[in-house]
Amino acid sequence: MSLTLFRREVRAHWVLALVFAAVMTLYGSMIVSMFDPKLGESLAMMAESMPQIFAAFNMTDPGATLTEFLANYLYGFLFVVLPMVAILILAAGLVAGHVDKGSMAYLLASPHTRAGIVWTQAAVLFSFTLLLCAWAFGLCTAAAQLMFPGELDLEHFALLNVGLLGLHVFFGGLAFLCSCLFNETRLAAGIAAGLCVLFVLIQMLSQVGDTFDWLRLCTPLTLFDTDGLLAGDSGAIGRLLILYGWGSSMYCLGAVAFSRRDLPL
Amino acid sequence: MSDLIQVEHLTKDYGKGRGVFDVSFGVSAGEAFGFLGPNGAGKTTTMRHLMGFVRPDSGRVRIAGMDCFADARRVQEKVGYLPGELSLAGNMTGDGFLRFVASMKHVRDSARCRALCDRFEVDRKNRIRKMSKGQKQKIGLVCTFLGDPEVYLLDEPTSGLDPLMQGRFLELLEEEKARGKTILLSSHMFEEVERVCTRTAMLRAGRIAAIEQVQALRGAQNRVFTLRFETEKAALLFADGLTGAARNGCVVTACVQGSVDSFLKRAACYPVADLQVRSQTLEERFLHYYGGEEQ
Repeated sequence: MSLTLFRREVRAHWVLALVFAAVMTLYGSMIVSMFDPKLGESLAMMAESMPQIFAAFNMTDPGATLTEFLANYLYGFLFVVLPMVAILILAAGLVAGHVDKGSMAYLLASPHTRAGIVWTQAAVLFSFTLLLCAWAFGLCTAAAQLMFPGELDLEHFALLNVGLLGLHVFFGGLAFLCSCLFNETRLAAGIAAGLCVLFVLIQMLSQVGDTFDWLRLCTPLTLFDTDGLLAGDSGAIGRLLILYGWGSSMYCLGAVAFSRRDLPL
Repeated sequence: MSDLIQVEHLTKDYGKGRGVFDVSFGVSAGEAFGFLGPNGAGKTTTMRHLMGFVRPDSGRVRIAGMDCFADARRVQEKVGYLPGELSLAGNMTGDGFLRFVASMKHVRDSARCRALCDRFEVDRKNRIRKMSKGQKQKIGLVCTFLGDPEVYLLDEPTSGLDPLMQGRFLELLEEEKARGKTILLSSHMFEEVERVCTRTAMLRAGRIAAIEQVQALRGAQNRVFTLRFETEKAALLFADGLTGAARNGCVVTACVQGSVDSFLKRAACYPVADLQVRSQTLEERFLHYYGGEEQ
């Protein structure tokens, strides 16, 4: 690992992190402020009038408690998709971007192993992922304490966020693997983004009705079981571990593939 | 004696005749070795192997006895590399980038970097994206030399440099050579290699056509004369019986080897309207040097 390279990448990408954190802040604080046990009833009525749409965005049950409300409205879609986009952009730039531009030649023309370089990039991506998830957690906790003191079930909400991190480690692993395998940024980003969007769409479709219920077996997003995590269900925790396992395996696979392959530099 | 840079039967086939095939050569410590060939001859591909960017299909590539792919980290401690196609981080300033590269190479002393920047009049303040091709090339040169490595791998180093900077660069190379550094200099210009190197390999279509002493090549230097005569008759008379001459109307093109004295005296017998001389291109030199063998 190279600390110099780590610092340089952080300096090159902190604006991206900031922009996404800002958008998350906007949505996060808005949704928290919308919580109102009474509003839940009117939302439930709206959900009844257009059940498919609400189901697609994982918002069927507005939830009686603040914790359930957040799990449905933020952790069902917004906090899944927003950091995912940021991760996709960053991952494509970290490895494939350098190979595509040719600047990888400068990184490798230094006394570091390829593994050292590529694991540094992986560390940048993971730190970024951790940061966004920690921000999501910190933001919601702070906003909830400020607006509805004592309403948030901190213990289970924390577990939900560990779950969110697992999901993003999975997305990060996938994007990182693609970035290590392909020589062109467009190809790496395209394939990773295509798969991630497909997974999200499959999940949305699977929630619409019983007809497509089986589709939930076709998307890794099912492994991030918000209801199960809030209930502290051991099955949900097990599925979460699978998500972490897949994610970290793809990180490793990417690093190994990159260390072994020919580079067009 | 074992060579510092060893390339043994290197083959990398990219298909459609591209790549390198059974390339072997050695460069001993302290030697400056030229790598001549037209574009696409395989110079850059060989360099990539020496840098450990690609793995050979077959054959071995070693520097200081270490495999260039497997031992890339330790090899890089000894090597300064200038890529043929530069790609620097566009959003950094010249100074920022140089400091980044120095830090990546674990170079703490910035005195050499500063001296190199002064020598090449490097623009350190501007963002690299806004720099001209020549300015970027100079930044690349400084990156190559700032670590004071033992071995230099230089892929067409003077491309984009103006003649003044080309001269300064060749001076620097001569100094480094005098300090006992090993140099592999790839170029498509014979003049560059001639000034610095003692031996040179000539590549053609991915194969080594020959490895020669530079001195021997120098003797074979040819010039191409293009003469325009006042009348077609004069051109006809001049070209008649002159070997290696071709006539088109009043214009005669002739290739002259060695002394030009008798050629010029012969031309002076006729009314000459215009005269142009150029050195043979590397391609022509190859054809001449190896006769029909390369057909």
